[in-house]
Amino acid sequence: MKNVIVYVEHRHGATRKVTFELATQAHAIAEQLGGKAHAVVLGAGAARLAEALTAYPLDVVHVAEDADVDTYLLDPAVDYLEAAARAAGPSLILIPNTLSGRDVAGRLVARLGAGVAADVVDVKIEGGRVACVSPKMGGAEITTCVLKPADFGIATVRPNAFAAQPGGAGAAIETLAKPAGKSYAAVVDSDVEEGSGELALEEAPVVIAGGRGLGGAEPFDTLLKPLAEALGGAVGASRAAADAGWVPYSLQIGQTGKTVSPNLYIAIGISGAIQHKVGMRSSSTIVAVNKDGQAPIAEFSDLVVVGDAFKIVPELTKLIQAAKA
Amino acid sequence: MKIVVTVKLVPDPNAEKHIDPATKRLVRTGVETVLNPYDEYALEAALQLKERAGGDTTVTVFAMSPESLKEILRKALAMGADEAVLLSDAGLEGSDVWATSYAMAHALKKIGFDLLVVGGLTDDGSTGAVPGALAEQLGLPCITNARKADIADGKLHVERETDTGYQTVTAPLPALLTTALTFGEPRYASLKGIMGAKKKTISTLTLADLALDAPVGESGSKTELVAFAPPPVRGKGRIETPEDGAAGAKLIFDFLKEKKLV
Ligand SMILES: Cc1cc2nc3c(=O)[nH]c(=O)nc-3n(C[C@H](O)[C@H](O)[C@H](O)COP(=O)(O)OP(=O)(O)OC[C@H]3O[C@@H](n4cnc5c(N)ncnc54)[C@H](O)[C@@H]3O)c2cc1C
Ligand SMILES: Cc1cc2nc3c(=O)[nH]c(=O)nc-3n(C[C@H](O)[C@H](O)[C@H](O)COP(=O)(O)OP(=O)(O)OC[C@H]3O[C@@H](n4cnc5c(N)ncnc54)[C@H](O)[C@@H]3O)c2cc1C
Repeated sequence: MKNVIVYVEHRHGATRKVTFELATQAHAIAEQLGGKAHAVVLGAGAARLAEALTAYPLDVVHVAEDADVDTYLLDPAVDYLEAAARAAGPSLILIPNTLSGRDVAGRLVARLGAGVAADVVDVKIEGGRVACVSPKMGGAEITTCVLKPADFGIATVRPNAFAAQPGGAGAAIETLAKPAGKSYAAVVDSDVEEGSGELALEEAPVVIAGGRGLGGAEPFDTLLKPLAEALGGAVGASRAAADAGWVPYSLQIGQTGKTVSPNLYIAIGISGAIQHKVGMRSSSTIVAVNKDGQAPIAEFSDLVVVGDAFKIVPELTKLIQAAKA
Repeated sequence: MKIVVTVKLVPDPNAEKHIDPATKRLVRTGVETVLNPYDEYALEAALQLKERAGGDTTVTVFAMSPESLKEILRKALAMGADEAVLLSDAGLEGSDVWATSYAMAHALKKIGFDLLVVGGLTDDGSTGAVPGALAEQLGLPCITNARKADIADGKLHVERETDTGYQTVTAPLPALLTTALTFGEPRYASLKGIMGAKKKTISTLTLADLALDAPVGESGSKTELVAFAPPPVRGKGRIETPEDGAAGAKLIFDFLKEKKLV
């Protein structure tokens, strides 16, 4: 592998922080491999987003603003990516580890006969080979996985694993030719955005998570949201809170929910069951507010404050707001 | 209509797991094996589609797994699947996503189906890349993360979750579908189901039945696990019991300041 290709996931030109993290990292890896850093942006809004990407240290941004990309489910996007990879030659393809990122990765594994390393938090070049580091089994093991084929390899990368840093001399923007002779079967009849404008949980630098100890839906709005806003973070939840219908499942953190690794995780009224722990244990700093000092969360928190969330959290929010003012 | 559901047999999600330094594979001894949780949702979806379609619709479960775990599949039969097929061969050990999807695709072609329902993610490997790879190997439309699915006029109609909301998608059959956890809780096996499962067949395929062109298993894989280590230990932190809410808030605030988090 010589080059690095970033698959840019976006919606009508709006993308997430992970895109810029990958663009930054692509340059660093390409430099070690002695190749070039590319990005591929497809579908409605691609041209506008490509402009924004030129602020990052990429060599080439490939664009195809083709309506088929949004009309058909992923098939045209996979065709474009395959074509871009074959044109670039031996490459490591970086894909965000998201729902659709995993689909793209799987499809390219078969198309390119490539290996895939999943949920990658670090990439090392060892003797010309690409080695990917991933926390596995809920973070119980940190594995290093080498991508064997010399031509193509794929890494699905965890958001927040790398820093995003603008720079470089400004990438060239090139238009991708439409792969010929393709037909597409899965038609997207409608595409609905929910909860727009909110910070993606996986990308938030701070996560304020609530559990059964909050007793209902209302404290998520009145207690957690103001604290999250004050700290520039997002609200998350335990499964108990999601199961009770207090928050949508999209906020659930843990084994059957999302995996987050923010700088700061504050668990409020969450006991810290193993299935919750595996989704947040790699957070840099963990603070817990819990009535019970013996709750399992105390075993892996940096600070546990024993007490009533309803008394502590509003005071904390006030202190932070005052410090910011 | 014939529906096939893929089910991975994984170590109990609630058990502490680790990797054997000698084989670099998951240690399975002393840990109970279960149906991968996501795959129970896939099975639930298949059973619902069967109930709605009626007639001669059948549900087959398929697993690629060591033969010794075969009987775990009885649970899927007790939940309502009609039969099970196991692909088992020492030559498959150590297969990665590419090798797994390649071998599974050949077995599934042999079994035949109109609809293939796959789980979204496993509890052990957790790459989530098998469904896409499998769809490509089989040349099927690939519709993932379904929270609702229906079959009408020979087409699959799906409401699927995305990272930002949801989509409705239509595709012709045969197709590959994966299910989200919002599809609905998997049913429990009834006593009648458990009794009936004892009489259902679990047949076995081996690599000799598949005539593959490329190697699979560890040598055929495109990835190699070269190292693994436990994460750095997170020391037990401070536990404080403040007098009141304001004192508790101050403790956290000072701690965040010290860590430069505010
Ligand atoms: C297969 C499987 C998968 C699972 N997946 C997940 C998952 O992805 N994510 C997940 O979170 N769980 C998951 N679970 C569930 C998990 O086992 C726990 O049941 C769940 O995490 C408990 O949620 P909780 O901590 O909010 O509730 P509880 O365990 O009930 O804890 C509530 C805590 O709140 C404290 N408390 C109560 N009142 C207050 C107050 N006023 N102020 C401060 N503290 C208070 C209590 O002391 C207690 O510690 C899964 C379980 C299974 C079997
Ligand atoms: C700790 C660990 C880490 C690993 N990391 C990687 C890695 O980074 N890259 C890599 O290529 N391989 C990796 N593997 C190997 C990988 O687990 C196997 O290739 C596995 O067979 C398929 O991948 P998955 O478990 O990630 O499946 P996923 O893609 O998460 O599975 C999605 C769905 O596919 C179906 N499915 C998957 N496998 C089977 C099966 N054997 N039988 C029936 N249905 C199945 C199920 O319905 C499942 O819900 C890892 C394995 C372990 C134990």
